[in-house]
This record gives sequence, structure tokens and C-alpha cells, in this order.
Amino acid sequence: MSTNTYKGLLLRGVGAGAVAGLLAGLVGVLVVEAPIRAALAVEQARPDAPDAGHGHGELFSRGTQVVGGVLAAVVVGLAVGALFATAYAGSRRWFTSKAPFVRAVALSAAAFGAAALLPAVKYPANPPAVGDPATVEYRTVLYLGLIAAGLLVAVGASHLASRLGHLGAPVRATAVASAVVAAVVVLLVAFPATPDAVPSDLPGGVLWEFRLASLAETATLWLGLGVVFGLLVDPATRRAKRVSAL
Amino acid sequence: MTSPAHPLPTPIPKWAYAVALVALTVTWLVLQENGIALGHAAETVHEFFHDGRHALGVPCH
Repeated sequence: MSTNTYKGLLLRGVGAGAVAGLLAGLVGVLVVEAPIRAALAVEQARPDAPDAGHGHGELFSRGTQVVGGVLAAVVVGLAVGALFATAYAGSRRWFTSKAPFVRAVALSAAAFGAAALLPAVKYPANPPAVGDPATVEYRTVLYLGLIAAGLLVAVGASHLASRLGHLGAPVRATAVASAVVAAVVVLLVAFPATPDAVPSDLPGGVLWEFRLASLAETATLWLGLGVVFGLLVDPATRRAKRVSAL
Repeated sequence: MTSPAHPLPTPIPKWAYAVALVALTVTWLVLQENGIALGHAAETVHEFFHDGRHALGVPCH
């Protein structure tokens, strides 16, 4: 299927999303699972543990939840892959001078920045044992709002770049980067602080290990998606295949 | 052999919006659903995808 039709891009996006989701799920099992277990141990050691909001491991065993964690990454990878392909189809005019592989990785880096890195800086991921169930809706609105604002900044930056097409590349890149940094600083200051404090019984080391591991998983998902999708759409990949077949 | 200097954007058909809607709904169900769409069954979904939600940085309970 051609890389110039929406259907061809969509199939490649979904395929790349499945691969990236599986890789992210593996990072989840191998890297994120250890601090999750450490945090669950802290939560279960609390005196009110049995009826603390929602009983971990009561509906599903830990093993099933680990499988569910991988499945979550794969399903989200498939969905995000479809959205990524659509964004790529619509955004081709924005990086006209670059190879498809570079465009795909640049788009995934922008998506990772807006949808994962920006919310991780303002509202870092929390392991189990952190978070008041009563504030979950407010925290969700803040988190999704910041992602939406970050995506707007990314779209705005690409429009600005195309508007400044008459400038030399270094001047244009500096202008766009300055605008993005200014917009991100405004967002980080304007959005309210997270309402929940981290409980004192959770070791700081576990918290940091979890937050960095979580960021590694989302980076694997987004940047893996960009790299695999880029390999699937770039004509140079097919040329390399033909050459190696000779 | 070389990629064109000014590729045309790929036309996006109408049904692409349906695909995007399905993709967003699936993402919502896996990462955010806490009872709005599924009611009581949401707890089962939430618990099954629990580790994935935390690991992907989504606000949880």
C-alpha cells in the first residue's frame, strides 16, 4: 500500500503503534514494575489498607495486573499510532525539506514533549500509595488540560515555522525555539500546582525511581512509534532492502 | 529515488475522523475511565489496566 494514501499511512501507524506499545510494555515489566511493587508494599503496610479506596490485588492478582499493564501499553500504542498517522498525513507540508524518516521522528519528539514530558514536569507520575481518591477528577482535568495546551503549542510552533519560511534556517529555528520555551514557561507557571502532597511514608528513592521509569516507558512508546513509523514510510528503507537483497 | 522537495500533504478522508474518534475513545477507556461510560464495570477495567495507568503517568485514584 502506498505511503501517499491515508490508508497506507494509517496501516503503518497502527503497525508501528503495536511494536512501540509492546516495547513500552516490556519497559514497564522490566523497569517500572519494581518501584510499583515497592510502593504497593508501603500502601499495604498502612493501618487502613484493606479498604483504602480500592483494594489492590482484590479483583486481579499481581501477575494479571502485570499482563494488564503490558496490554494497556499495546492498546494505547495502537490508538496513538492511528492518531499519529493522521497527524503525519496532515503535517507533511511542515517539514518539506526533510526525509520522511526525519519528519516522523521529529513529529514523535514533538508529541512526546507535549503529551508526556510537559505533563511529567508539572504533574509527575505517581506510584500507588500517592493520591487522594477525592481529588482524582480535578487532577485528571489539570493533566488533560496541560496535554491539550502542549499540543496547541506544538501545532502553533509548526505554523510559526512555516510562516517564517523566508528566514535562514538558524534564525528560524532560534525564533521558533524561543517561542516554544516562552509558551512552555507560561503554561508551567499558569497551571495550578498538583493538589496532593506525597505521603511521608513513601521513600523518596522509590518515588524518583518510579517517575524516571515511567518517563522511560512513555519515551519508549512515543519515540519508538516515530522511529518504527519512519522506517515504514521512508523510501530509503525500501532501497536498503533492495540493496541487501542483491 | 530522492524524496520530493515539496511533498503534497496526504488527503485525509472523512472516515479518518471516525478512526480518530475510536482511537481517542479506546485511549480514554484504558487510561481514564472511572465510571462515566461503564458505570460499575469501570472498576474491573481500572484494576486490570492499573499498572499500565500508573506506568504511563496518568493520574490515578
